[in-house]
Amino acid sequence: MLSTETLFLLYLSTGFTIGFGHCIGMCGPIVVSFSLNLKEKSILIPQLLYHLGRIGTYIILGGVVAAAGSLTIITANIDTIQKGVMIFTGALIMILGLALAGWVPLGRVFGDHSSPVGFISKGFGKLVRQQSTLVYLPMGLLLGLLPCGPVYTALLGAARAGMEAGSTHRGVLTGMGLMAAFGLGTVPALFLVAKLADMGWLKSRTIIYKIGAVLMIIVGFIFIIKAIRY
Amino acid sequence: MKHVIFTFTLAIAIAILLMIPGHISAADKYQEMINCDLHAGPCTQSLSETTVTLEVTPRPVKALQNLSFKVTLSGNQVISTKAPYIDLGMPGMNMGPNRVQLKSAGGNSYAGQGVIVKCPSGRRTWQATVTIPGAGQTEFIFDVIY
Repeated sequence: MLSTETLFLLYLSTGFTIGFGHCIGMCGPIVVSFSLNLKEKSILIPQLLYHLGRIGTYIILGGVVAAAGSLTIITANIDTIQKGVMIFTGALIMILGLALAGWVPLGRVFGDHSSPVGFISKGFGKLVRQQSTLVYLPMGLLLGLLPCGPVYTALLGAARAGMEAGSTHRGVLTGMGLMAAFGLGTVPALFLVAKLADMGWLKSRTIIYKIGAVLMIIVGFIFIIKAIRY
Repeated sequence: MKHVIFTFTLAIAIAILLMIPGHISAADKYQEMINCDLHAGPCTQSLSETTVTLEVTPRPVKALQNLSFKVTLSGNQVISTKAPYIDLGMPGMNMGPNRVQLKSAGGNSYAGQGVIVKCPSGRRTWQATVTIPGAGQTEFIFDVIY
């Protein structure tokens, strides 16, 4: 059995390699969508808040599976929620795409002064009316529930480490810590992708945004199809 | 408004056109690699002069379910003090380290518990790499039910 310190390092490095090898393809569209919607605004704080929320959910899940000592008990119960989150994410990306191109009168959905019109935009308006990038935190918490193979694998290890920890309290803390390390490891890759999609430096962005918007609609649609088939 | 509807419809159409061939080719590519039907029963692979048999129960093999893995060695075995282990993953996709530690189950058999996770991409081809310390590795590529 590996020492706790070694396990933490292993989870951190696994998160890092998975980030570049897996998350970019699977979760990249989400962070890219956020980046594009922020337009010329800084992506740093929104992205960090999003990742904080996402890692927060991983930590909670890590604690729960470690306490339960099993991943399968938990996944059997959150399967439907995950499907719902995946559909929500697809719809969100599509709406962000429509808003980015100005085809839906939402303006910039997150962190900007929009004048919501219509029932959909009012719903989002309630979410964003705080005029704060803080909205990315609950968004990260929710999207942390997205079904993801490597997260499941990390949770399997967290459940195992929790069982071997000696006490429930220690097991829960270990599970939470391991998932925090895993989540932190995935941040650099996703942040890099978000930064690459940050077009704020471009002088003429209209065409880029229109292309980005169409791609977001496509990606959102793919997310929904995958969710239905999940 | 017409412009919006047109672009939206076009985007959906492109998405469908992009998805269908992608899914078919990806599915075909990995399904062609399958060398074992674990839903039907144990599978056997050769590792130099040793025969490695892998059995996963309960069958059919489903993701996110507690599974029992059993490895049986026969033939000219390499004497090793260490038990074999299984690494579960997907061909062509890094799913993170997922190792099933095996313990002696009497004779030349080793058993352990594990879980195959679920990939939202929809790909169902999984790989179990059985490592026999001192002898090498052999791969079982199989379908998993989601």
